Amino acid sequence: MDFSYSPQEEGFRADLRAWLADALPSGWGETVFEPEDEDERAMFRLAWEKKLHAGGWSGINWPVEYGGRGATLVERAIFAEEMARVGAPEGLNIIGHNLAGSTILRHGTEAQKQYFLPRILSSDDVWCQGFSEPNAGSDLASVRTRAERRGDRFIVNGQKIWTSFAQYSQWCFALVRTDPDAPKHKGLSFLLIDMKSPGVSIRPLRQISGECEFNETFFDDVEVPVANIVGDINDGWRIAMTTLAYERGPEDALGRQIRFSQELDKLIGTVAATPRGDAMLIDDPIVRQKLARAVTQVEVMRLNAVRTFSKYLNGDDRGPDASVIKLYWSHAAQNMYEAAMDILGPTAPIAAPDPLSAGGGRFQLSYLQSKAFTIYSGSSEIQRNIIGERMLGLPR
Amino acid sequence: MNFGFNEEQKSLGETVAALLADFPALTGPDPAQARDPAVWRALADLGLFALLVPEAQGGVGLTLVDVALAIEALGAGLAPPIAASTLIATDIIAREGTAAQRETLLPRIATGDVRIALAVMEDGQGYDPAQVRTMMGGNGVTGVKILVPDADIADMILVVARVDDRVGLVMLSRDARGVAIRHHADIDPSSGLCEVTLNGAAVMDGALIGHAGSGDVISRLMDAAAIVYAGMAMGIAARMLDASVDYAKTRVQFGQPIGAFQSIKHRCADMAVAVEAGRSAAYYAFWTAAENDPDRSRAASMAKAYCGEIARDVCNETVQIHGGMGFTWELGLHRFLRRAKVMEHGFGNHVWHYERIMAQTLAARAVVADARAA
Repeated sequence: MDFSYSPQEEGFRADLRAWLADALPSGWGETVFEPEDEDERAMFRLAWEKKLHAGGWSGINWPVEYGGRGATLVERAIFAEEMARVGAPEGLNIIGHNLAGSTILRHGTEAQKQYFLPRILSSDDVWCQGFSEPNAGSDLASVRTRAERRGDRFIVNGQKIWTSFAQYSQWCFALVRTDPDAPKHKGLSFLLIDMKSPGVSIRPLRQISGECEFNETFFDDVEVPVANIVGDINDGWRIAMTTLAYERGPEDALGRQIRFSQELDKLIGTVAATPRGDAMLIDDPIVRQKLARAVTQVEVMRLNAVRTFSKYLNGDDRGPDASVIKLYWSHAAQNMYEAAMDILGPTAPIAAPDPLSAGGGRFQLSYLQSKAFTIYSGSSEIQRNIIGERMLGLPR
Repeated sequence: MNFGFNEEQKSLGETVAALLADFPALTGPDPAQARDPAVWRALADLGLFALLVPEAQGGVGLTLVDVALAIEALGAGLAPPIAASTLIATDIIAREGTAAQRETLLPRIATGDVRIALAVMEDGQGYDPAQVRTMMGGNGVTGVKILVPDADIADMILVVARVDDRVGLVMLSRDARGVAIRHHADIDPSSGLCEVTLNGAAVMDGALIGHAGSGDVISRLMDAAAIVYAGMAMGIAARMLDASVDYAKTRVQFGQPIGAFQSIKHRCADMAVAVEAGRSAAYYAFWTAAENDPDRSRAASMAKAYCGEIARDVCNETVQIHGGMGFTWELGLHRFLRRAKVMEHGFGNHVWHYERIMAQTLAARAVVADARAA
């Protein structure tokens, strides 16, 4: 066990720090922030992602031949740490990087890798995920969107739902039914669909946070070249399981952990500066207990991710451990935002831009957003089934 | 960077677990039968107490991270607490002791000839070692220590006491003049919890450990003890998870194993997540102690607070999943529940450690703010 870094790894860190010092807007995080408007924020994040790519910081641990940097998983972790240190903006193409790219790298044809991977890294192609349907949520294998083969094309008809970032996406990977007569897990295929294809339409869905990050996506006689299948026809379930392992895995968790630890730090800063009667809110022992528990759980998120990283480095396969990671961070983060609303006290319900809003009202939005954590990328109930059956060997 | 154990470290854990399994009374239902002195000798013959002793004093020269899985096994096997206390004391003496103390004590610890109990708490003073009233003066050490595990079978007692207006560590012989020991009546009789009354207890020359140093010896003691207890708590939690899962696979009700019901399956899954989370906290803390990393105290407190809560929750769930059998004396789950409860309160409970985490976190923020201002 060793948490220290080699001279090469420290060199990687120093290079990244130097680049970040130049690349971030001056006053970033103190006087300069992300745009409030949802669409403007998306474009800001896209521009930041393209800047990272231009600087050579996109696809840290992807192979050089596909536009990556060819770095190690440890350097991937250092990258995440340094982004956290400076409070760097998020990207827009997270689904492209973490899910589409990782799945194509693992299961795609050489032609698919050559075409898609560099375009993901440059964010020329932003991706969305077409898995869930109105009647296929936790029971994902019962998707009904049909893809019929006609010559060198699939004709796709159906509806996907909760498609985050579809409005900004050029491409969508989708789980579709190619054999309606086969048992439900055996008749699925994994298709890459151009969102500009005729017959694709989207309708925004408003979330409890008031934002419209996700959508309904409709496919009406959409033509998809046969070359855009990943894996074999009717082997889509296996491919989708790879996607889900990345969606729930340590790379994803480490990125999120950084955001949570930044938010927690801001919460502590807010509490430390908030008067309560004759004292400060930070002096309240109950508040301190709640904060310390959040500090611990956010740190454990990081340690869980690094521990699982190390298992992969030491040659272990990706398995149900991804569900352990996801179940943990999703509930820990919800607990943290719930605690934030408790701690802020009577003014917690007052929203921005009201001058009396606590912490500028920022924790309210995060609190609302956090309700999605235990539902998306597999609800907690599904994660518990996976852990119970595949990790602990309990009967189905 | 690698957050994994090597083969030697894993093998050490398995060896200790196998040795303890040879003493079924340790985890049997009757705590009164669970204090077999042969266990100490067997652990000593295995070389457990030489592991943390530097090579110069006849030991193996390993660190706390090397013995983390062995300590987890001590927890899972409900080993006598004096084993953990002696390992903690070894760490303190090896790191903070004078050359003379190291030469005198460590070779005898390595061979298993010195068992050391740890005496920190006092009645009415909570968990904080800074609050102790026991004093060392010209007439020896005077005060009353409580909740000292296995004090009655120890050869020496490491006592937290006021010395020259500071809080320090004094090593006493259990047989010294002025030392009286009384057993507590308590929830876990196998922990050997004792009250130790010191009435001008005789002190040998050179009995003060780490007193000339940086004054950090008490925090090192609390950190090492918190980490070792966190590791043992995870041993108990992991063992209880295994027991729950095994029972859920074999106990049939309504025509199927109860583990097929989501009400049971999901509880087991939540326990598995908690065990992995607790291990992440504990293992990292072991590493910070081995390296004397600047994050050591914060990591130790996180581990102790969090692993203590997890062990408690997993023990509670395990009793529930076993239903009526879980509440029987005969099945013996109560032994783990009892030990976990005692350990939860040893060397600071979660409330005390969460406060310590907050103090550390705010201090670190202040350092960052000062650096920015400068």
